[in-house]
Amino acid sequence: MKTFHFILRFIVGGVFVVAGVLKIWNPASFAGDIANYRLLTETLVNLVAITLPWVEVLAGSLLIAGIWKRPSALLITVLMVIFLAGIGQAIYRHLDIRCGCFSTLEARKVGLTALAEDFALLIAAGWLTFWYKE
Amino acid sequence: MAHNLQRALVIACAGAVLGLADNLISPRRIPYIAAPKVAPQPTDFISLADAKQLWQTGATFFLDARATADYAAGHIAGAYNLPAEEFDARYPQIATILAPDTAIVTYCDGLQCDLSHHLTARLRQLHYQNVRVLQNGWTVWHQAGFTTTTGDKP
Repeated sequence: MKTFHFILRFIVGGVFVVAGVLKIWNPASFAGDIANYRLLTETLVNLVAITLPWVEVLAGSLLIAGIWKRPSALLITVLMVIFLAGIGQAIYRHLDIRCGCFSTLEARKVGLTALAEDFALLIAAGWLTFWYKE
Repeated sequence: MAHNLQRALVIACAGAVLGLADNLISPRRIPYIAAPKVAPQPTDFISLADAKQLWQTGATFFLDARATADYAAGHIAGAYNLPAEEFDARYPQIATILAPDTAIVTYCDGLQCDLSHHLTARLRQLHYQNVRVLQNGWTVWHQAGFTTTTGDKP
């Protein structure tokens, strides 16, 4: 179980670090992706585009490094719930938009694949947060 | 759990502060607050009939604001591809064939699509005055049975 815990931390943390770094690389494009979800007012879009990637990188790094494992896993869980809600409403509203999950690296559209991936990440992060006993 | 939540908040705040600080010095920084969008005016649009008429004169540039892959899958015949999201990289190439007074029609696809509006706004900033949007352009054009083509060339 310990090895599994380590591997899972590495995967979840790694995904967040990579996703965050890619977005830091191109904040303008990420801001566009956020705006496309039509959830935030224009005033907030850039602020989220500036801050969110760094939160992702920090939480992912801490999870990998094993510092504040549970708090960072909790933060990732909360973020995953928010991301899932965003993707879910985009699918529900038939928005034909780019996911933005990994910045411009992929032209992937919002859809069931993104939903499934995010759900898997949510389960993993949730397990690290709530169920794993040291 | 409570102290985990507290620490999670600390991480979130620290990340946000890092992001705000990085945006001060990053070469790729963006404004903290986005400039409000100007709502599209009725005069920004062109009707399908008028667009067709301009297309027939051959003196009007049609610019497809969608991504390269969408453009290659099918576009208005003669339209050039200038993806709104790659404007800075792709514009110089297009600039060589545009004059400031060239009549330009931009389009993308879908009533929700605002790529053509972004493209129009960028072009206007660069002092192209005669730019209009054919809304839901690709759909209305090919549904009307007007000339289209595929591939990465106009």
